[in-house]
Amino acid sequence: MSGITKNEVKELIRKSYECRENILKMMQFGEAHIGGAFSSLDIMTVLYNMILRHDPKNPKWEDRDRFILSAGHKCMALYTTLENQGYFNKEVLWTYNTFNTKVPMHPDEKALPGIEFPTGSLGHGLSVGQGMAHAGKLDKKNYKVFVMLGDGESAEGSVWEAVMSAGHYNLDNLVAIVDKNGLQVNGRTTDIMNSSPLEDKYKAFGWETRTINGHDFNEIYEALKDIPFKTGKPSAIIANTVKSKGLDFAEDKYEFHHWHFKESEIDNAVKNIAQCAREELCKIG
Amino acid sequence: MDRQDTNTQKNENSEIYDDARKIITDALLEMGTSNNNVVFISMDSSAGACGTSFKKAFPQRHFEFGIAEQNGIGEAAGLAISGKIPVIAAYVPFTTYRPFEQIRDDLCKTRLNSIILGNNSGFSVSALGPTHTILEEVGIFRALPNMTIICPADGTEYRQVLEVASKINNPTYIRISRIKSKRIFGEEHKLVFGKADVVKTGEDITLIATGTMVSKSLEAAYELEGCGIKAEVISMSTIKPIDEEAIITSAVKTGKVVTIEEHSIFNGLGSAVAEVLSKKCPTKMKFIGTPDEYAPVGTYEELIDYYGLTSAKIAQSIMDFYKKQ
Repeated sequence: MSGITKNEVKELIRKSYECRENILKMMQFGEAHIGGAFSSLDIMTVLYNMILRHDPKNPKWEDRDRFILSAGHKCMALYTTLENQGYFNKEVLWTYNTFNTKVPMHPDEKALPGIEFPTGSLGHGLSVGQGMAHAGKLDKKNYKVFVMLGDGESAEGSVWEAVMSAGHYNLDNLVAIVDKNGLQVNGRTTDIMNSSPLEDKYKAFGWETRTINGHDFNEIYEALKDIPFKTGKPSAIIANTVKSKGLDFAEDKYEFHHWHFKESEIDNAVKNIAQCAREELCKIG
Repeated sequence: MDRQDTNTQKNENSEIYDDARKIITDALLEMGTSNNNVVFISMDSSAGACGTSFKKAFPQRHFEFGIAEQNGIGEAAGLAISGKIPVIAAYVPFTTYRPFEQIRDDLCKTRLNSIILGNNSGFSVSALGPTHTILEEVGIFRALPNMTIICPADGTEYRQVLEVASKINNPTYIRISRIKSKRIFGEEHKLVFGKADVVKTGEDITLIATGTMVSKSLEAAYELEGCGIKAEVISMSTIKPIDEEAIITSAVKTGKVVTIEEHSIFNGLGSAVAEVLSKKCPTKMKFIGTPDEYAPVGTYEELIDYYGLTSAKIAQSIMDFYKKQ
């Protein structure tokens, strides 16, 4: 039996597609890393709506769960999710790519409430999350630290330094979520540098892992609510996702990692997203 | 106001030598005892990098990462943003170059209160060759916004430097020599962040030195005194941010400035001083340090002799420069 109701799933779909639409609207100010933002959005939607203990009115609440977007270029998904949660006014989104914006192409913790740590250069987030997890243990806090990485990012050696040490330290308050969309900026991850099999690698370093469909809200929820998968072990979720999920003409195409679009394409994309949302909702019934 | 030499241990009774690593080891334990937020991060370096006592006293606050420095710095950032004060220690190349991007992005950009110890700096372990003899890192760190750099001059300053650094609220790099350092300052001396100390007054020429080279420069200054040259000696323990006022005040007085450092003459103390003088008080300068090359293998004594960093050779260089003016 599912842990979330049909209506809850519908609400999550609506929210995630509203975020996708907002991302497209942000693009009136310039090109964007749309592929990874769309592949990771459903996971972030479940995290912020159903899993994370957080308070948009008190973003520095010391007992909050932490979320670090290690693959920082996917930040449009985070910005729109945080806006949807009420961390800041929607007008902020419409400053994307403008001078001194609070919503740059990589997130800045000093610019916006809700951004736990600035990221951009890949392979930093898991070590930082591990430090936060250690601080939580030292302070006898129950918060969890969720770090989202990409499968392309997983070629960075620093990722595996952190995977090794988090296993060594039995950090069961640390969660790695790999948004495994199979593509990176120059092509298919299996061609550029194959990071698979991720499950076996995390397991070998002492993590407990689960593989899910990163666009199935039930599966996402079921995995996230079970953290830690095993007491005394860090948890890794390998989420199989589709790059540019929701834009049928862009899905699973590496060219949309960073979309250099023509202005006329945006209106079509907004319609495309709306259609996709309707289809997703119909499937639920 | 200049910090004059009233706190200086005078030449005649300054034959005390301190082991910086022992002092830092004790200071780290002391700081850990008085402040529960202090955590120690090592990369298979706890014994050689001043962490032995801390590790024994506070095992829960010691995090070992093995030979994985990028991860160690990232961890430090996560701890620091959660309110801890991480002290990260290893040989210089491993706390500077290997995790450089993590230092830049995760500690400096975020302005996280953290302390990086660069152990065995300069020629401390020159027998290990150029991979371990790092003579450029001050220059590289100087270029990082929000980074603070401190090179203590003697045991009195080593004793205070961790406590000073922990209150800066920025990442601080502390350069630590393995070579026993000659005591310069008396017990009452206070290491003040961002402030230079005039350790000897003089009117003819200004010597600005940092770290291990302060005692050598002081000795050189006394040698010069015998030749009728009254050199003023400034100890520049904080290299970034640099004490502009102290530099300008002395340069105006003497009209000639020599910098001395156990570091490359590119981008180090000499460059920092030149940046100040060229902008605010153009003055004739000489840089004493190492040239644009990787150092050969040798003992500490052999290398400081090879690069003209003994007090006798420093005095000779200064004399040559002085005579040309």
